Amino acid sequence: MNTILLIVIPLLAAFIALVAKKGAPYLLLGAGLFNIVLLFFLDTGFTFIGGFDQAMTSDLLGIALYLDTYAKIALWLVNTLIVVIALLNFKAYKQYGSVLLLSMAGLNGLLLTNDLFNFFVFLEIASIAAYLITVSNRKFTDTFHYIVMGILGGSLFLFGVTILYAMTGSLNMIVIASELETNGQYQDVILPFIFIFIGLGVEVKLLPFNSWVKGVLASSNTFSGPMIASVYAAAMSFAMGRLLTNLLVFEGALLTVVMTLLIIGVVAGDLMAFSTSKTREILLFSSIAQASLIALLFVQGIVIWAVYLIIVNALSKLVMFLVINKATHAIGSDEIKRMKGLFVNNKFVGLMFTLATLSIMGLPLFAGFVIKLNFLTSLASLGQTMVLIIILGASLVESIYFVRLLVRLWYPGEETLDMKYSNPFKFVFAAVALILLVLGTYTTPLYELDDNIDQVSEEVIHG
Amino acid sequence: MIQYAGIALFVFGIYGLFVNRNVIKIIVSINVMEIGLNIFIISIGYVTGSSLAPIVSSTEDLGLVYVDPLPQALVLTAIVIGVGTTAIALVVAKMIHSQYHTFDLDEIEESV
Amino acid sequence: MKKLVGFVVSLALALVIILTLNESALFPAFGEVDLAERISSQYFNLAQFEAVGSANIVTAILAGYRGLDTLGEVTVLFISSIGVAFIMAEQTRKRIELDYKANFMLRTGSRLIVSLILVTSFYIILHGHLSPGGGFPGGTMIASAILLLYLADEEFRSNIRGFKILESLAGTFIVVTGLLGLIFASAFLENFLPSGTIGELVSGGIIPIIYILIGLKVGSEISGIIDHFLSEEETV
Repeated sequence: MNTILLIVIPLLAAFIALVAKKGAPYLLLGAGLFNIVLLFFLDTGFTFIGGFDQAMTSDLLGIALYLDTYAKIALWLVNTLIVVIALLNFKAYKQYGSVLLLSMAGLNGLLLTNDLFNFFVFLEIASIAAYLITVSNRKFTDTFHYIVMGILGGSLFLFGVTILYAMTGSLNMIVIASELETNGQYQDVILPFIFIFIGLGVEVKLLPFNSWVKGVLASSNTFSGPMIASVYAAAMSFAMGRLLTNLLVFEGALLTVVMTLLIIGVVAGDLMAFSTSKTREILLFSSIAQASLIALLFVQGIVIWAVYLIIVNALSKLVMFLVINKATHAIGSDEIKRMKGLFVNNKFVGLMFTLATLSIMGLPLFAGFVIKLNFLTSLASLGQTMVLIIILGASLVESIYFVRLLVRLWYPGEETLDMKYSNPFKFVFAAVALILLVLGTYTTPLYELDDNIDQVSEEVIHG
Repeated sequence: MIQYAGIALFVFGIYGLFVNRNVIKIIVSINVMEIGLNIFIISIGYVTGSSLAPIVSSTEDLGLVYVDPLPQALVLTAIVIGVGTTAIALVVAKMIHSQYHTFDLDEIEESV
Repeated sequence: MKKLVGFVVSLALALVIILTLNESALFPAFGEVDLAERISSQYFNLAQFEAVGSANIVTAILAGYRGLDTLGEVTVLFISSIGVAFIMAEQTRKRIELDYKANFMLRTGSRLIVSLILVTSFYIILHGHLSPGGGFPGGTMIASAILLLYLADEEFRSNIRGFKILESLAGTFIVVTGLLGLIFASAFLENFLPSGTIGELVSGGIIPIIYILIGLKVGSEISGIIDHFLSEEETV
C-alpha cells in the first residue's frame, strides 16, 4: 500500500466518471471511503515518485511525498468531510460528482507533497475545483472575482518558488530550508517568502486578498458553503502550516509586518461580523477572523493548538453553515430578522447549533475552551502580551455577536417559521456536537498527540 | 535584459488588473502577467557561453555545457495551467454576458 | 484615482523586485549560473542518462523525474475541460452564427492543410524524446486542426462523444501505466520497460507511451473546449 494511492485513486475515478456519468456519485463515495480506510494502513515516512534517489540530500532528483501524523490528521479530516458533504447533498447536487473527486485528489496532493512546484500544481487543481463548486451559487461576477484573485495568488506563489530555486538549486522544501540555513543571509529571502506567504494567503482568506470571500460565501448554499468554509479552509490552513513550519522563517521587521497583517485580519473580521445583519455574513467574517488567528499561531510556532483549532473550526463551521444555508434556502433570505424563532420548532437542531457556537466562542466544557486556554497561555509564555490582549478583545466581540445571533434565533418573532431538517442532517449535527463535547471534557488525547507531532517534526528538521 | 522584460510584463499585468473594468480586458491582463512570469522563469536557466539546448544525442556529448533544463520543464507546466484557468475564466465571462448582456463590471454593479 | 494608485503600486512592486534581486547575494545574475550547484547537473549524469534513456532532457524531466507534475498538469486541463462543459451544459445545442462566411479558398484549402497539420502533430508527439516538442505542443496542434475545420465550415461539429471517450481512456491509461510501475517496479511512474539505445525512436522506456497518451488527451480536451465555445443554445 503506497501513499500515492491517496491521490491517484480519486484521479482514476474522476477519469472513469467522465464516461460513466450516472455512477459518478458512487465512485466519489467509493474513492472517499477507500482513502479513509487506507490511511489506517499507511506507514509514515517519505515516498519517492519514480523511484529516484532515496535520500533527502541536495541531489534529490524527483518528487517526494511525506506522510506524518500532521498530514494524517489533515487527510482524515478533509476526506471525511468531503464524503459527509457529498452524502448530505446527494440528491440536490448530483452532477458535482467528478468535481468533488478532483477536489479530493487536489487537496490530498496538497497536503502530502514536499516539493514546492508540485504544491503549486495541486494548489491550482484544488482552486479550479473550488471555482467550479462556487458556480453552484449562480453568481457569476463573484465567481469571476474569486478566479482572478486565485490566479493572482498562484502566480505570486510561483514567482516566489522560482526565486528560491534560483537561489538554492532545488525545489524540495526541506532541502531549500537546509541550504538557506547554511548558505544564506536573511536579507535575501525576504522577497520570496513574502510572495509565497501572500500567494497562499489568498486561498487561506488572509488579508490583503480576501475580498473574494464575501462574494462567494454570502450567497452560498448547503453545498458550496460547507465546502469552501469548512473543507477548503481546513486544507489550506494545514498546507499553510506545513509551509510555515518547514520553510518560511519570519524574523525581525518582516515578522512585525506579518504579525500586524494577521492581527488586523482577526480584528477586522470580528468587527465586520459584529456590524452586519445577515447570518451568512456573520459566519463568513468569523471564518476570516479564525483563519487569520490560525495563521498567527503557526507563525508563532504554536503548532499543535493551531491544528486543533483548525479541526474544531472545520467541524463547527460545517454545522453552522449547513443549518443557516438550509434555513436560507427554505425562507428565501438570510437577514436575521427573517430568521427569528428558527429554533422554536427545531429544538434538536437548535441545540446542536448552539453547542457548535459555544465551542467557537470558547466556553468551558467544549473543545474550543481547552484550545483557547492553551494557546493563550502559550502566547503569554512567548512574551506576546500585546497580541494576547488584542485576541482577548476580539474574542469578546465575537462572543457578543454570536450570543446576539443565538438569542434572535431562539426567541420567536412575529411569524412562526415552518421548516424541517431531514434526518441525515440531524445525524451529522449530533456527531459533530458529540466530538466537540468529548474533546472538551476528556482532554488527554489532545495532549498525547502534542508530543507525537513534535517528535515527527524534529525528525524532519534534523534527520 | 530579458529578466527586466519579464518583470515589466508581470507588473503591467498587475496594473491592468487594478485599472480595467471590462471582464475580457481583465482576462487579457492576467495572461500578460503569466507571460511575464514565464519569461522570468526561463531566464533563470540561461548559462552564458553555451548555446546548446539540453538535447543529448549520444553519450559522448554529456560533458558539454547545456542550459538548465529544469526551468523549461516548469514553464511547460505553468503555460498549460495558465491555459486551463483562462478557459474557465472565459466561460464564466460568457455566462456573465448571457446574464447581464454586458462585459463591464461597473455597469453590472449599477444594474444590480 | 484608482489608476494612480494602481500605477504607483505596480511601479513600486517592479522597483522592489528589481532592487532586491540585484542586491541579493544568493540570486545569480543573468547567465552566471553554475549548473553544478543545482540538481540539473545530476540529470546529465551518465548513469541516470542511460537509466532513463531519453535524448531530450526536458522530456526526461517532464515524463520521468517529475512525472507527478505532468500528471497534475494533465489533470488541470481535464478539470478545465469538464468545467467548460459543466458550466455551459444547457447551451450547446447548435453552432453559433459567426459574422463571416467561409469562402471557396478556405473551404477547399482547409481540407488539405488539416491533413498536413495532423501529420505534423503526430510527428511532434512521437518524437518528443528526441527533439523539442512532445505531447503538449502536439496535442494543441491537433486542436488547431479541429479549429480550422470549425472555421471553414459553419455546420461542422466534431464528434464530442468520441472525444470524451478518447479523453477518458487516455487519462485512465496514463494512471494505469503509473500504477503498473508501482506493481512491477517499486514506485509510481517508475520506468519498467527497457530504455533502449539513446536516439532511436523506440527508446526511453515508458516516456513515449506517456507522451502519446498525453498528446491524444490534450488534443481531445482542447477540441472539446473549442466546440463548447462555438455553440449556443437552441433558439426555437
